[in-house]
Amino acid sequence: MLKSLVLRNSPRSLLRPLGAKAGGYAPSTFLLVQRRGLASEAEEHDVVVIGGGPGGYVAAIKAAQEGLKTACVEKRGALGGTCLNVGCIPSKSLLNNSHIYHQILHDVKNLGDVKLNLTQMMKAKEQSVSGLTKGIEYLFKKNGVDYVKGTGTITGEHEIKVNPLEDGDPQILRAKNIIIATGSEATPFPGLEIDETRIVTSTGAIALTKVPEKMVVIGGGIIGLEMGSVWSRLGSEVTVVEYLGAIGGPGMDAEMAKTMQRILQKQGMKFKLNTKVMGGDVESDNIKINVESAKGGKSETIDADVVLVAIGRRPYTAGLGLENVGIEVDERGRIVIDQEYRTKIPHIRVIGDVTFGAMLAHKAEEEGIAAVEYIKKGYGHVNYGAIPSVMYTHPEAAWVGQTEQEVKATGKAYNIGSFPFSANSRAKTNLDTEGMVKFITDKETDRILGIHIIGPNAGEMIAEGVLAMEYGASSEDIGRTSHAHPTLSEAFKEAAMAAFSKPIHS
Amino acid sequence: MALSSIRRLSSHLSPQLRQPVLRRGLTTTARRNVASPFLMPALSPTMTEGTINSWKLEAGDTFSAGDVLLEIETDKAQMDVEAPDDGILAKIIVGAGAKAVQVGSQIAVLAELGDDLKSLKMPLENKDTKSGSSASAQEQRVDGKSPRQDTTSSGREDRPSVVESSAKGVPDAAGTWKVYTPSPSVAHLIREHGISELDVSAINATGPKGRLLKGDVLAYLGIINEAYTKELEGRIHQLEKLDLSNIKIASPKKDVGQNAKQTAEQKLVVSFGEVLKAQDKFQTALGVHHPLSTFISKATARANHSLPHVSSAADIFNELLNLPSTTSSRPARFQPKITAASPPPQHSPTAGADILDILIGTVPATSPAVKRVQGIAATGPNVISLTVKGATEEERGRLFLEEMKSSLEKDPARLLL
Repeated sequence: MLKSLVLRNSPRSLLRPLGAKAGGYAPSTFLLVQRRGLASEAEEHDVVVIGGGPGGYVAAIKAAQEGLKTACVEKRGALGGTCLNVGCIPSKSLLNNSHIYHQILHDVKNLGDVKLNLTQMMKAKEQSVSGLTKGIEYLFKKNGVDYVKGTGTITGEHEIKVNPLEDGDPQILRAKNIIIATGSEATPFPGLEIDETRIVTSTGAIALTKVPEKMVVIGGGIIGLEMGSVWSRLGSEVTVVEYLGAIGGPGMDAEMAKTMQRILQKQGMKFKLNTKVMGGDVESDNIKINVESAKGGKSETIDADVVLVAIGRRPYTAGLGLENVGIEVDERGRIVIDQEYRTKIPHIRVIGDVTFGAMLAHKAEEEGIAAVEYIKKGYGHVNYGAIPSVMYTHPEAAWVGQTEQEVKATGKAYNIGSFPFSANSRAKTNLDTEGMVKFITDKETDRILGIHIIGPNAGEMIAEGVLAMEYGASSEDIGRTSHAHPTLSEAFKEAAMAAFSKPIHS
Repeated sequence: MALSSIRRLSSHLSPQLRQPVLRRGLTTTARRNVASPFLMPALSPTMTEGTINSWKLEAGDTFSAGDVLLEIETDKAQMDVEAPDDGILAKIIVGAGAKAVQVGSQIAVLAELGDDLKSLKMPLENKDTKSGSSASAQEQRVDGKSPRQDTTSSGREDRPSVVESSAKGVPDAAGTWKVYTPSPSVAHLIREHGISELDVSAINATGPKGRLLKGDVLAYLGIINEAYTKELEGRIHQLEKLDLSNIKIASPKKDVGQNAKQTAEQKLVVSFGEVLKAQDKFQTALGVHHPLSTFISKATARANHSLPHVSSAADIFNELLNLPSTTSSRPARFQPKITAASPPPQHSPTAGADILDILIGTVPATSPAVKRVQGIAATGPNVISLTVKGATEEERGRLFLEEMKSSLEKDPARLLL
């Protein structure tokens, strides 16, 4: 509508900005500036983002930076969403500290005592979280994003009713564009009622007040393995029950999943794969989880003090009012969009966990930026073929692109190049030599199809792989690129060399 | 769709804009003295063709940025096309009066200020993809000159240049990689096999954003099949997009996740016998008539009030301070419907005071008439019904109805005291 308006009034202005290569879709800016001058219209925002998680807050800041009048509605009382408040960030604090504790415990085995101060560990976690959430509030102020605390409900195509968190009347926001970024919630396990103290999701698992003696983790995906690792290091006996035949979720390379399982088993975690959880009995001092082999037959009971339900997450749209404007969701509750994140109503866009694609904070961020660019410039881009995944166990696991099983399924010939950290000098000096780097390349063209890493700092190392894939690199391109010595990244280079030629140090 | 056409517009316009800028700002070598093609602009995202009404300049005229070059008419409007930059109109290819000129087809040649028009290398005219309509546009030329026979442009078909690639309408595809340094593997292959620069520019690049990949060079060398590189690119391109295939829309009525709530109706039979007695008492003792609706609304309020609180501390404060409560933090109040259980009897209680009584003054005519709640049987049994959502509300609904029944049936007079 905006475009046709511009055209009718001043055909020249359409040609001009494009000609001037000003970058951006200037006619709309022109209109916006005009409109903002009118006091009566001051209430209307160019963009209202519902949800202040990593997708929503990034979209809001980006929109404000693009000169759009932006508001972000968040009901948690703190920005950052699941990721920052009860997800990625607090879990990483616990993973880091529990790793240090665990390492010291083993290093000083014959020298003295190490005692755990769980309260202090939790305090460190809370400090990290509050520091970061306040940081986002500061960024909102700095960029001029209106932070609206409350529950946002879409009541019309351009209208959002915000019920405040505490006292007060609902506030009505008017918006030219709406970005839905309401995220996801843990999928509950039928028959086990979550109380977040004994039967917990990841939210409760980062806030246990004492180390459980026995912990059962239902679901051997990334969340289950990370939280299982934390409590295993702090002394729990952790049993992971996974319905599938491999850990790490369906996105993980099968060979890597096996390697990871072996490493974690050595660290003391127990695994029951191909196992179904039939239900549980919650007794006053104990929880009994009944499991059965997924392939039929054999059932048994596992005792636990705490049960972590980590079977996945589902889109969160409660109270959002999608039905008020007729926006559709699919069978799994994901809001239906097109390639430009538009719903049926083109100026309502959706990003992150609440819609399609992997439920990853950085994927939501990319989409947040792309959605704003679509609004502002008419073009945005996310390359879904080059989005990394990281599991923060120790060693870490990280990957990008296709898995070997996926490449195999295409029926095309491929090369594998792998290199173990046990042959890497830096890993050796760090006494941290578990894991390897694995390249999967197209046999004909040598183009990289997937990179999989298990090893110290794999999550940082994968960035190079993502960049390589973004540029369509071949393994030879990496093999011919200098990597500093002595670093872990040399293993990355050597694995690339192994894919198209031969590694030097193996 | 609209967006893609905007991109198309900018891609059509950009070559002719970029060149002068590049040349002016970045090149230190001598001018190439090559003119740039001027393509039919899209003046709206949906415009595909237009009529050239008039050229405001003649061939050889110089112009400044912002000068009107020509006037174009579409089915919607008539518009001026301004010069994007300073320059010379070297040649008009499609003259005034030409109709149905396709967007993106070449209509003129522009040169830079100071260019010598005589020695100027003319760009190749584009072979429009929509050749049919382009041909018709040429037939309708009025100036009679046929620029295709132009001597300056003949014999230059083989010159690979940016100009040519832009004339193809794919400004980004073939040539852009040259802007980037070839990747290590590509550079290695080029040197190893001694591929000349000219030949390199002819290699078909399948990488992201037109980058030349190792596989492309291998295909060029005949080591692998060229069709394979294209196929691989196709496969990888597929993975770059969000997979939105096979979306199964949830049935529209069913709400998502927690929102799933069914509505149910709850009913309870209640008798208004006691209410009528109380009404009479008030009438006789105080001379005040309270209509039935007053009793019902008081009972409703009381029943709502008696419900267990599921609300926040804020509500308690509101209650204490007598502040209006917000609709959000408080669960919705019930508003029951009351209907007669059986058809109401012909005679309502007021029928007792008949017209004769009123006329003779025993019942004051001005006395407030009983406000009838529609459909209520004052004497017979009535049904209070409620519509509730979800399991938690069901329990509250039941409590509400029971409270209402008891307050209406047991000493309803208290409701008003």
